[in-house]
Amino acid sequence: MWTFLGSDVMFFGAFIATYLVYRGRSLNGPYPSEILNIPVTSVSTFVLLMSSLAMVLGLYYLREGQKNKATLWILVVVLLGSVFMGFQFVEFREFAHEGLTPRTNIFGTTFFILTGIHGAHVTIGVIWMAFLAYSSHRGKLRADNSLDLEIAGLYWHFVDIVWIVIFTVIYLISANDGPPPGAELLHG
Amino acid sequence: MTTTSLTFPRLFPRPKGYAGIWSWIGTVDHKRIGTLYGVTAFIWFLVGGIEALLMRIQLAKAENTFVDPETFNQLFTMHGTTMVFLVIMPLSAAFFNWLIPLQIGARDVAFPRLNAMSFWVFLAGSLIINASWITGNAPNGGWFGYAPYSGVTFNPGMGMTYWIVGLNILGVASIAAGLNFIVTILNMRAPGMSMFKMPVFTWMTLVTSILLVLAMPILAVAGIQLQTDRVYGTNFFNSLGGGDPVMWQHIFWLFGHPEVYILILPAMGIVSEVLPTFSRKPLFGYPFVVFAGVVIGFMGWFVWSHHMFTVGLGPAANSAFAISTMLIGVPTGIKIFNWIGTMWRGNIRLNTAMLFSISFVAMFTIGGLSGVMHAAPTADAQQQDTYFVVAHFHYVLVGGSLLGIFSGIYYWWPKFTGWYLNEKLGIANWALMFIGFNLQFAPLHWVGLDGMPRRIYTYAENMGWEGTNLAASIGGFILGFGVLVFMVNVLVSRMQRKVAPADPWDGRTLEWATSSPPPPHDFDEIPQVEYRDDFWFKKYPETIAEYYGHGDDDPAVPSGAQLDEAVDEESVPVISGGAYGAEATESEHGHGKIHLPDQSYYPFILSIGLAIFGIAFLTDGLVLFAGAPFFIWGLLGWSMEPVNDPEPETP
Amino acid sequence: MHRVSKPSISLRPTLLLLAPIALALLAACTPDNAQSTFGTAGPIAEDQANLFKFIFWIAVVVFVLVEGAIIYASIRYRQRSDSDKRPHQTHGNTRLEITWTIIPAIILIAVAVPTLSQIWGQQNGVPTDQGEVVGVEAIGHQWWFEFRYPDNEIITANELHIPVNRPVAFKLNSQDVIHSFWVPKIAGKVDMVPLNDNFIWMIGTEPGVFYGQCAEFCGIAHAHMRFRVIVDTEEDYQAWLKGMHTAPDAPTPGSPEASGQQLFAVNCSSCHTNNSTAPGSYAQEISTQQARWNGWLEDTENASIVSAPNLTHFGDRLTLGAGLKDLNHDSLVGWITEPSSVKIGTRMQQHAAVYDTPDGRAKLSASEISDIATYLLSLKPGTGAAAEPVDDGGAGTAIDAEAVFITNCATCHSTGADKVVGPGLAGIGERASGRVDGMSADEYIEQSIREPGEFIVPTYPAVMVSWSKLGDDTIDALVTYLKTLK
Repeated sequence: MWTFLGSDVMFFGAFIATYLVYRGRSLNGPYPSEILNIPVTSVSTFVLLMSSLAMVLGLYYLREGQKNKATLWILVVVLLGSVFMGFQFVEFREFAHEGLTPRTNIFGTTFFILTGIHGAHVTIGVIWMAFLAYSSHRGKLRADNSLDLEIAGLYWHFVDIVWIVIFTVIYLISANDGPPPGAELLHG
Repeated sequence: MTTTSLTFPRLFPRPKGYAGIWSWIGTVDHKRIGTLYGVTAFIWFLVGGIEALLMRIQLAKAENTFVDPETFNQLFTMHGTTMVFLVIMPLSAAFFNWLIPLQIGARDVAFPRLNAMSFWVFLAGSLIINASWITGNAPNGGWFGYAPYSGVTFNPGMGMTYWIVGLNILGVASIAAGLNFIVTILNMRAPGMSMFKMPVFTWMTLVTSILLVLAMPILAVAGIQLQTDRVYGTNFFNSLGGGDPVMWQHIFWLFGHPEVYILILPAMGIVSEVLPTFSRKPLFGYPFVVFAGVVIGFMGWFVWSHHMFTVGLGPAANSAFAISTMLIGVPTGIKIFNWIGTMWRGNIRLNTAMLFSISFVAMFTIGGLSGVMHAAPTADAQQQDTYFVVAHFHYVLVGGSLLGIFSGIYYWWPKFTGWYLNEKLGIANWALMFIGFNLQFAPLHWVGLDGMPRRIYTYAENMGWEGTNLAASIGGFILGFGVLVFMVNVLVSRMQRKVAPADPWDGRTLEWATSSPPPPHDFDEIPQVEYRDDFWFKKYPETIAEYYGHGDDDPAVPSGAQLDEAVDEESVPVISGGAYGAEATESEHGHGKIHLPDQSYYPFILSIGLAIFGIAFLTDGLVLFAGAPFFIWGLLGWSMEPVNDPEPETP
Repeated sequence: MHRVSKPSISLRPTLLLLAPIALALLAACTPDNAQSTFGTAGPIAEDQANLFKFIFWIAVVVFVLVEGAIIYASIRYRQRSDSDKRPHQTHGNTRLEITWTIIPAIILIAVAVPTLSQIWGQQNGVPTDQGEVVGVEAIGHQWWFEFRYPDNEIITANELHIPVNRPVAFKLNSQDVIHSFWVPKIAGKVDMVPLNDNFIWMIGTEPGVFYGQCAEFCGIAHAHMRFRVIVDTEEDYQAWLKGMHTAPDAPTPGSPEASGQQLFAVNCSSCHTNNSTAPGSYAQEISTQQARWNGWLEDTENASIVSAPNLTHFGDRLTLGAGLKDLNHDSLVGWITEPSSVKIGTRMQQHAAVYDTPDGRAKLSASEISDIATYLLSLKPGTGAAAEPVDDGGAGTAIDAEAVFITNCATCHSTGADKVVGPGLAGIGERASGRVDGMSADEYIEQSIREPGEFIVPTYPAVMVSWSKLGDDTIDALVTYLKTLK
């Protein structure tokens, strides 16, 4: 799993690098400064971080052999992950409504593809967790094979950390990005 | 990954037994998977070779009209893509699969079913890419797929879509294989085999696998970005939307240069096994060869822009990448010198495998030297995108990788099949390939310096390029004839059935300790390892002191007592699946029954699902729904399938 | 011990290894070839060749030593008879390892020092102390080169004139895909990247004609994307500059040239400008070229206009079709008849209406094609007698406005309601009066002829050029004529 995560690091790394290289190069609006909603995304980031906490608790109770508590916490992970996805869905719709799509400009391109790929990872994680919650409920996931949950948890934490990087890079660093110098000339 | 014991309804009985097509589809045996890789890759090798020969016919004379330019562009695109992704990489994978468990004294790889999936996914990807010939949409944008020419505005056909989809599927296979071998090598070595007792081929496999796992995702990203540009109109490489086509080159070569080492390091590993065996000496400077390989793998990440010296990155970037590129010459040189050091004062048997390996060193040296010539950006300004570069990398990839792989084929063939290849035909094979190769590619240096650009389908009569091109074309056919001789040799070998013993070459590493071909479980008993070249030193314990006696840099110098013990045992290995090695290993398999993972058809089904997903991108999004059942069926079935069906209880 | 019998190998490898050496040495023998990177004609290429030779000779020494050691070891230490001799099982030699780590490092430093100094000498801007710098913008197109001289307001294609012994600074760009600008004898290549300017400079030290070729794969006609660099003496260069601002003589009425001129105007002129000699025509051609390109981008399948080489003073050129063939009447007729027989994939045959035939050949008779060729070959700087390129009708003669329209406007405008490239002009008199506040129909039409960019109707490509050169009288007549169209 660690090696897979290494591979995934390169995967996200390349997308994030693309975003950074292209940052501030959009030739037309909407620009990040006009559209990003940091307070809302901070909430969704918090939700995702809390899911990591739930993940840790789930693993703890599983190892302790407390089946119901473990199942409960894994379900909380699923729930919080879904909430995060909901936030992202709303955000995408909002942006599209305001005229930012992957085609609009280079910010749109890099933003949607990067966060979209991350969203796909979260979705996979949610499905995986739901499966494990079911296993736990049925009693098939126990302390003696808690490695399964640990590996899934590793994945979940990784996706979380990637989000923190994305949040920093897109929302915090680029929050004030406007048009590049000279872009206004292009549009008279 | 998941051993949760939920059950999933089976549609077909789990394949058992060792015969019939189902046993191959369901196989999880690393040796059979290796064979599948090898045979498949060799077929693609013939395809890629024919593509090359068609191009050589076209270029044999000026203003030729043998193929039209569109076909020519498809040919060189597919030739490059095929040879890199469908030939050299999977041929290396064939060796990884066959040899890694044998060399580290294991019974299989860490994740046998994942291993099977790698192969089936590879097969799917390779079929999808080549299906483009049948549908008349072969990719035509070069194996490097430079934007914006690979974009939809200038390349509206489906060709580049085939290329992207195919490569992304192949990427899945490579990453899975890479993961598998990293874990296998790190976790499944025989007891006593520390990292610095591993054979060099195993080391190079480890480095290559790490490169695969880290580099292939970058190619995937590049592919995804290009595909969204093409299909959804995003702006990654679209200048008008704020993107930059040079970005594609950065991403592609950030993958592409490590890829070069993915192609060459396995061959270096093979040569590092063959040269010692046929010189009857240990590899000279083992730690330095290993370290040089690791350094090459690491530094390979910092040189990508030397593919882009003429893109206009400015003098600062060009200087930095010139220096980092030249630095790579140092570890490469160390390897070459150590190989020569291995031969020095040896007792050299010049048989086919050895001749291929010596040729590898000789030809790779030429490729390395011409590499230094275009590491200088201003000199490269004349060489970039000319036939000089074509000559350079063919000296590295054909003179290097391919000769190394052929060396490995001749060396390990008796181990794989239990029969020798014919030696006379082998020498003929080597001589034809060696002469043909040099006749084909040496003149290309010359015509490149004469100003002939790459990827032109024709040239004018007054350029002075005809003689060199004709020579190259003739050389190409001689090389092709050499490959033909190899195929004849394989047939002759099957007819003659000259039986090879377990250790035909007086080998040094563990794979020679088991029978030829090895039993499904590889080793009757897991060997206990004490030395580098453990098999050799147990055969000839009197030489242990020679090797380790003055080992001032080796922490593993055995004490006198240990030496005595080793000598006492006098464990001249009993061959043929016999009880090689020391007394170890009763623990896990205490019941005298060796548990091998059972066969499984789920990897195959999962790959069908992935292949249909790929086809969906080429046809219609709705096809995704056709692939989903296979994918989910494969995934769920796999994750709930126990590695072994429960044994019937024996009282 | 099991053994295979091994055929022993004699000295064959030695001889085989000599083959590449011999070939490599032969390589130095072809400096006369047109695109050889040796036999250079400029300091940049010369320095690059010298750096190559420096590295090459170091490589030869390394090559001989390494290959020699390989061959020596293979022969000296080969197994004689079936001896089972076991050599000493040495594990290595740390001192040797250090030696052969340091020696290559030293060699590479020796290579790196001149390399770095050359990078900073060649890629860090054009020198200002070696004569007055000529500025050129070179633009790659699929599959031809455009050259602009912003200081002299000259625009030309596929043949670049530069003065001898003066530095020429290039700004490189591309309109479509990535190309590479390369004149082997004078300077190594630099890529032409769309919307991403690159720079290169060079000095030609020998007058003459030098070959250039695109070196980056750019599509189906990549092999056919060539150009010539003509290094002129200072005198010739100045004469060339002057000539590029001198209009050609008007053809004699009734001559093949005159017929060719009219055919060119109808069939070719919407993509090819051939009269960029007048002041102001430089800026106009640049915007027109961009407009043609934008039109193509909007509908790459069906566009009837695409950016194309400027043909001003085409008769003075040496070659045809981006350096593919010597220019003469025969080759030009062949080109016009079926361009793709010379340069496959050319956009001309793909898009121009005149090639919209079942077999793709021009919709013109042999004599018409011959007339166009004759006309194009006559395009050279005029003797100065008649500066006006198009007939001014002569004093007192009534201007045949309909003929003017057919010659100059009918390529893009029909007299009915059909859209060709521009709008059909039936009823233009009525429509024009209401188009812009405060402008009469006459004023609007005249404005549209003189400054078409001002009021392009939104759905049409902004490709029309200014026709002020027709002359005041002709334009007046044309406006009157246009208003009669119903």
